[in-house]
This record gives sequence, C-alpha cells and structure tokens, in this order.
Amino acid sequence: MKKIASAADPLWYKDAIIYELHVRAFADSNNDGIGDFPGLLTKVDYLKDLGVTCIWLLPFFPSPLRDDGYDISNYTDVNPSYGTLDDFKAFLDAAHQSGMQVMIELVVNHTSDQHPWFKAARLAAPGSPERDRYVWSDTDDKYKGARVIFTDTEKSNWTWDDTAKAYYWHRFFSHQPDLNYDNPLVREEVLNAMRFWLDMGVDALRIDAIPYLCERDGTSCENLPETHAMVKRLRAAIDADYGNRLILAEANQWPADVRPYFGDGDECHMAFHFPLMPRIYMALRQEDRQPIIDIMAQTPPIPDNCQWGLFLRNHDELTLEMVTDDERDYMYFAYSADPRMRINVGIRRRLAPLVDNNRRRIELLNSLLLSFPGTPILYYGDEIGMGDNIYLGDRNGVRTPMQWTSDRNAGFSKCDPARLYFPVVMDPIYGYQAVNVEAQLSDQSSLLHWTRNMIALRKLFRVFGRGTLTFLNATNRKILAYLRELDQGDGFCETVLCVANLSRFAQPVSLDLANYAGYQPVEMLGYVPFPPIGREPYALTLAPYTFFWLELQAAIPEEESASELSTQIPRSAAGSTPAVSRPDTEV
Amino acid sequence: MATANPIPDDSSTAEHTTADLGVFVAAMAPDQFKEVLANLEAAFSIERIVVATPNDLPADVTTRLKIVATPQSSSLWTLKPSDFIAAAQSGLEQGARAILILGPGAESLRPSALRSLAEATFASSIDLVVPNYSIPPHAGLFNSAILYPLTRAVFASRVRFPLPIDLCLSSRMAERLADAAQRIPASSPGESLLWPVNEAVAGGFTVDEVDVGARAIPQPSDQDTNSVLISIMGSLFADIEAKAALWQRPRRAQPTRRTEQEVEISDGTADVTRMVAAFRLAADNLQEIWSLVLPPNSLLMLKRCSVLNSAEFRMPDNLWARIVFDFVIAYRLRTINRGHLLGALIPLYLAWAAGHINTIASGTPAERHIEAVAAAFEADKSYLVARWRWPDRFNS
Repeated sequence: MKKIASAADPLWYKDAIIYELHVRAFADSNNDGIGDFPGLLTKVDYLKDLGVTCIWLLPFFPSPLRDDGYDISNYTDVNPSYGTLDDFKAFLDAAHQSGMQVMIELVVNHTSDQHPWFKAARLAAPGSPERDRYVWSDTDDKYKGARVIFTDTEKSNWTWDDTAKAYYWHRFFSHQPDLNYDNPLVREEVLNAMRFWLDMGVDALRIDAIPYLCERDGTSCENLPETHAMVKRLRAAIDADYGNRLILAEANQWPADVRPYFGDGDECHMAFHFPLMPRIYMALRQEDRQPIIDIMAQTPPIPDNCQWGLFLRNHDELTLEMVTDDERDYMYFAYSADPRMRINVGIRRRLAPLVDNNRRRIELLNSLLLSFPGTPILYYGDEIGMGDNIYLGDRNGVRTPMQWTSDRNAGFSKCDPARLYFPVVMDPIYGYQAVNVEAQLSDQSSLLHWTRNMIALRKLFRVFGRGTLTFLNATNRKILAYLRELDQGDGFCETVLCVANLSRFAQPVSLDLANYAGYQPVEMLGYVPFPPIGREPYALTLAPYTFFWLELQAAIPEEESASELSTQIPRSAAGSTPAVSRPDTEV
Repeated sequence: MATANPIPDDSSTAEHTTADLGVFVAAMAPDQFKEVLANLEAAFSIERIVVATPNDLPADVTTRLKIVATPQSSSLWTLKPSDFIAAAQSGLEQGARAILILGPGAESLRPSALRSLAEATFASSIDLVVPNYSIPPHAGLFNSAILYPLTRAVFASRVRFPLPIDLCLSSRMAERLADAAQRIPASSPGESLLWPVNEAVAGGFTVDEVDVGARAIPQPSDQDTNSVLISIMGSLFADIEAKAALWQRPRRAQPTRRTEQEVEISDGTADVTRMVAAFRLAADNLQEIWSLVLPPNSLLMLKRCSVLNSAEFRMPDNLWARIVFDFVIAYRLRTINRGHLLGALIPLYLAWAAGHINTIASGTPAERHIEAVAAAFEADKSYLVARWRWPDRFNS
C-alpha cells in the first residue's frame, strides 16, 4: 500500500535543512562495530533538536561494500549489517513523527558486479535482454570521449570480462558495471526500485551519478539528451503517483550543464551546486570574494519550483573537477600539503581540518552555507567539528564513527574497539575525548550550540531558502556582501543584508544601500538595531572572519503611543453588576 | 455602547442563508441558559438566530430561537477547542454570516452587550470581535499580569482579554479557529486552549474590541488554582513557540484602545501579606530553579524585593517583563521540566500581584498601572527576540 507524503508543502525542500549521514557511521545498537538502523533510531531526537528537517541516508542496500555501499547488489532490501526492512520502516516512521523527511540514494547508473543482473548478464547470450542490461563491447575503442573519473584506481572505463568474453562499461570502479539505459528492461527495473521505496513513504531520492546514465559514441558520454529523457521519465512517474516528493541530482558539472537537470521544472527538483563549494574555500584562503562572485555569475536562473543544494563537505573528496588547472593546483597547495590528503581529483578532509580547526572560519563558512540561495546540506559530525583520518584508504577518512561521548569508541558502540568498522578519530585535537556531542551539549559556547542556534535563526526567515540574491560589490574585495529578498505576498517583504569578512584581519566596508534609505538594519542574531540607512554609503566594520545578518526593516508609521492611557477612570458605578468571584483567586 | 440600528437584513442573500447569526452557548446551569436565551431574544428581535448548545432546553421555556444540539463541552469555566469546532460546524451548517460564542456565565451579559459584539462583525466586517469586560480592580489579575501584556508585546495586540470567554467571529475566522482547534493534540492536556487573538493575528484577520460592561467571571471547579494557572501559561507559551516566525516581524499594534469602562470600587479581600510570604518562601526554596532561568540582574532585584515589607512591596514593571520573557525562553528551551518551570513562576506572579494591589491602594488607578506594565513589556520585546534567537545564558 502506498504511503502518502509526510511533507504538506510541495516546496518543502526549499526550507529544508538536510543532514547527510551514513547508517554505518552513526550509532551501533547491537555492538558488532557497525552502525545500524536501530542505533540511528535512538538518535532521531538529537537530529530533531539540532534543527534538521531532512535526513539523507547514504546507501544502505545489500552490497559487497567495495565502494562503501555505492556498489549495490539488491535495490529493494537493507544490508543485514544495518538491520532489516522493518528496522528501516521503524526509523522512517520515527523521522516522520518528528517532523523530518527522509532522503535515500537511487544509485542507478551502475550496480555491483555481484548483482544478480550482472551475474546473469555475463552468462547470457550476446544481444539477449539479460545481456543487454549492461553496456558491452567487443573492443575498448568505443566512447573514447569519456573521461576516467576515478583516476587513482582506474585506467580505463572498459574492463574485460573473461566469462562474458567481452568488455563492459563502467564510469567508476571496475566492479561497478554501468546499466544500459537503452534497454527498456533496465528503465522499468529502475522505476520499480524507485516505486518500492516511495510506496514505503520515503520522501526524496538522490540520483547518484546522473550525468553518466547514457552513453553515445563521439560524445563525452555526459549530460546526453537521452539521459535527460530518462530523468523526465522518472519525474513523470513520481508526479503521476506520489505527492510532495523530491529528486536531487548529483551532477558534478559546470552550472550551465547542471541547469538542464532541472528541465522546465519537469526533471529534478534539486541539484547540488558543486562548483560553488571549492570556490568558497578559495575565496577564504585568498581573502577575495571574486571566486564566489564569478561562479554565481555563471549560475543560470532555475525554475521557480527548483532549488540548489549547497554544501561545504560531504562523504566524497572535496572535488576539484570543476575548477581550472591553476585553481586546482592552488587548492592542493592551500588545503592539502600532505599528498595523502588528495584522492582522485580532490581533497579528502573534513571541514574543521581544512580550516585548521579555526572556530571563526568554521562559523564564517557555515554562515555562507546558511544564507546563500539554496538548501543547506550538513555533513554528519561537522556540527561538532569532527576531524578526519587521512591514513584510512579511499575516502574513508571522512567516514569515521560519529563521536557521541568521551567513552569507549566515542559512545558509538560498546564493542571491542578492534571490531569497529573504522577506528574512531583519536588524535589530541579532534579525538573523541575532546570532540563529542555530550561535551558540546553541556557547553553553551560550543560549535554544536552555535550551529543549532544558527539553524533555528535561518528557519525563522523564509528569505534564505526562497529569496533572490543580489551582490553588493563594494570596493573592498575581502568583504562579501549580498542582499536576500523575498516578497511573501501577504504585505510583508523580508530583506536581509548579509556581510561576510573573508579576511583574518578586521576590515572596513562602505555599501551602497541608497535604494533602502530610511530602512533600519537590525542585526538578526541579537536583534540589535543599527543606524538607519541614508543616501550616503553605509559604513560597517567587521572583525576577522565575522559576518552580519542584518534584516532591513521598513519604518512603521507612527500612530498613537502605546503608552498613552485614557485619563480619569471613573471610580463609581452605582447599580452595575458586581463580579462574583474572590479577587485573589480570579484568573 | 450598542446602537438601536438593526443588523442589516440583506434580503438579496436570504435565499442562500438560513441564519443571520449563529450563536454557540457553552454548557451552563439551566437557569443561566434560560437567561441567556431571554437576553438573545431581547438583543436580536428581528434577526434569524440559530443557537447551538450542549444545554437542554428547560421544560418551562418557550423561545422563538432555533436550538440545535451539540456535543457536551469538557470545561465549565472557559472555552475549549471543541467549542470552537462545534461553533464553526454549526455556523457552517446554518450558513450564518457571523458566529457569536458565549461562554459559561454569559447570562450576566446585557442584551446591549450581545448586540454590540455581533454588530462589529456585521457592520464593519471585523473577523474577530472580543469583549472588554468591566471588572473590579482586584479581579483578573493573572490576565493583567501575564496574558494581556505578553500577548500585547508579542503579537502587537491590544486586546485587553486575549483569552475571552465570549467573542464574535466572521465565518472565515470561525473556520480558521476550528482548523487550529483540530490541530491541538488530544494528548496534550496542558496545552489545550485556543488563543483566538493570536490566531487572528497569525492569519492576518481583523480584530476589534468592544466594551460590554460587567460580566460574571466563572471559576474553575478545580480547587488547585496553581495547576489551572500553569495550564493556561503552558498553553500560551506553547502558542508563542509555535508562532515564532510570525511575531518576530515588526507590526503595528491593533486594535486602537478604547476608553475604559466604569468600574466598581471593591474593598477586595486580597491578602497581600500572604502573597508576599509565598514569594519570600519561594525565594529561599526555588532559588536553584530561578537561577537556571533568570539572569544575575533579575535575581539581584528579586533579592532586593524579598526584603521589602508587605505594605511597601512592589515589583518594578521592567523586572516583571524580563522575568516573564525569560520564562517563555526557558519554556521553549526545556531548560527544566515544563511543569516545574511554570510552577516556579507562580510565586513571582503572586509577588507582582501583591505589588499591583499595593499600587492601587496608594491611589494609582488599576488600569493605569496595568497599561504601564504592558508598555514595559512592549518596550523590552527586543530582549525577548534577542534571547529567543541566541539563547546564550552568559547575559546580564
């Protein structure tokens, strides 16, 4: 039986606060060293208190786990290490009852080579529907225009299969053969997998590796019209049978190439803004807003019912695919002095280590994340400033167990520490003894409390998720200043001026706010009125790495003073009905 | 007060409406209900009235009014969410253009008062009309201390009685309140009051207030006054929490205040000494809880208050405003168990009440002091907003 949507607003994702986590990494309930759904269930309240409105789960399906679950061997079940389908449903219900939506992965560009489909395809006759679930070739000459994505481990997008006596196509690891979307069987199976989870009540689907679904010779095999046609089919199936759901495109592309994934509002509801993220780090390090301005200038408008997904970090490396070669080199120098920190075309570090654990920098970057146009996506652990372990392979250094307490195994599990799926972070700076949820909950000045307060503040104002963006290009390039505006349509217009100091030193700035002459800026965190805006440039001074969120309030016309009282209240009223109750007990 | 003009008889819509006015009368004793019916007949001599009520029509009563039965209400001293649902449903069924809700004790409202409530809706298309009752100086202290000033500051509403026992609604306002009532979970008995004025402000509806003279104020049968007050406060604080995004927008206050009613001087039997003693006892026993909620300056001022003698006892208006705001914040943050939290506010309320009674005794008109308190709440709203957004306890 199909479950109805848990979100009442079709555009719920515009106001969402998304929290990305891995079930495996969050909480272990049965002490086998691996996080699971019953453990995650015990942490739903924590997420609700943080202010999260949508939980994004990394893949939890049956898998040989050679790519941390992105190599799927069964689309419609739960990896036994994480629990059962019933455990998932219990978590889903708990999240919904707490007012949160749930997003899961739809990894349909490829499967694991252990998926029954691939096992059958290898044995099936060439040209048969079973064989053609995947992309085969007698040579590795086809699709030469396609780049290799996992450059550290793969030399080619083709791998020879001795059983099938043919090459099979894979854009990622060789154990992840790509599905063939030219095969109607594949398209139908993907829709079935999607319906399985949506029927259960899942609110959103992140479509992994969406640009690579289809391939054609003579092209880059990315963002092809055939791929968009498939996305439209997915969207149409959702719109026909399910209300208030979401599909989020993972398309690590230039903004102009991501734009088509929104279609005319008939493809994906959301897409990650990948190119913005490294430029935020560049702007910070260079103390220059220009990288951010440039990429936003290249960002095309999107349909009104669509939304960008913004993030500072995630489960993958900090990708440097969508930057120039010089920019990539700069980022390597700036943020990954140790070559061990680099993988593929990116940097595998968490937020706090990237900025040298500087609290002000962390707050500044989060202020951008929460005030830029789009929906913010927080990576688990970044709310407490978790560190990473660059000595773990692949991108596992940013996927260590969540640090709940200073107890054994960071409170993640009661198992023998040697049994943990990955060791907890235990260095002197980021180790679990110092950095954990329990400690930060009892510390009012902690990053956790700060993040919770900022999320709550953002949720008070719809302008952040739904408003326009206008940059104010002040002379001082170390200052990033922008206006967010939203006409609510009920007579209220929210206007917020955001000013961020990208520099490690105090900075002055003068802003042209003549259009808002007569308005009064009110600093939003402390509700502090600032001097009214006049025709002259508005001067501000910012301490290192600080930011202002200033609500521009229009003056309310004066009327009779609220403190004026009517005079001469008569003292006698003969014949009036007395009150019947005792004066000292009346309410 | 009420005029003699009849409510306009819009015959062009006669074929579409069954009643000009739907009236919901809450549960009450038979003789009280009989008097309400008589007052309604006197107030609305030519209009088509349908009365929805859980009360049975007394056997000795004949009336031209149409009576419709509704389910029994669960409270005999205030309006419950189910009353609003019943009123809206009945009004909808009857096609009424306005709905007059009369709570327990409404038999004390004169026909002219009933009429003036309804006329504001008809004549001026006001969505929510609430009464301003004439009550003695020592009456309604809880409303004067907390409900009125807090609602005025937070929602920019000058309605003197934000938890009215009687009110008149437009049909769309009635629908809005019925929707809000249905959203109140049955599992939250402590938060099961509806705040019509707050809902009207939230929905952008028009609000007005009319003077209705004196009225009998029903009292809860529960002898534990504290638990009743805690229940009311909890409900209001929860409503404030739910509407946080709304009340933090700057807005103009409405409605315009009216001139005050003539009130009867009451000697009163308020025992200031007992109130001050309760406050002093709490200052010793509840210091730990108060220190979790109140900043150092407030604690210091309370300490100074605690050494004042009963006759001179006063609580400064701005201190009281800060105390109430800090308790609203603590309620939201769940600093401690909410029941304990609100219980810890009661002695502070008694302290305020003692000071208020002393102020009246010194010659200051009661309403003047209450307005000064409300103004103090308004002036310090920025404190509430700032602490709401950044609940850092490292403050003065």
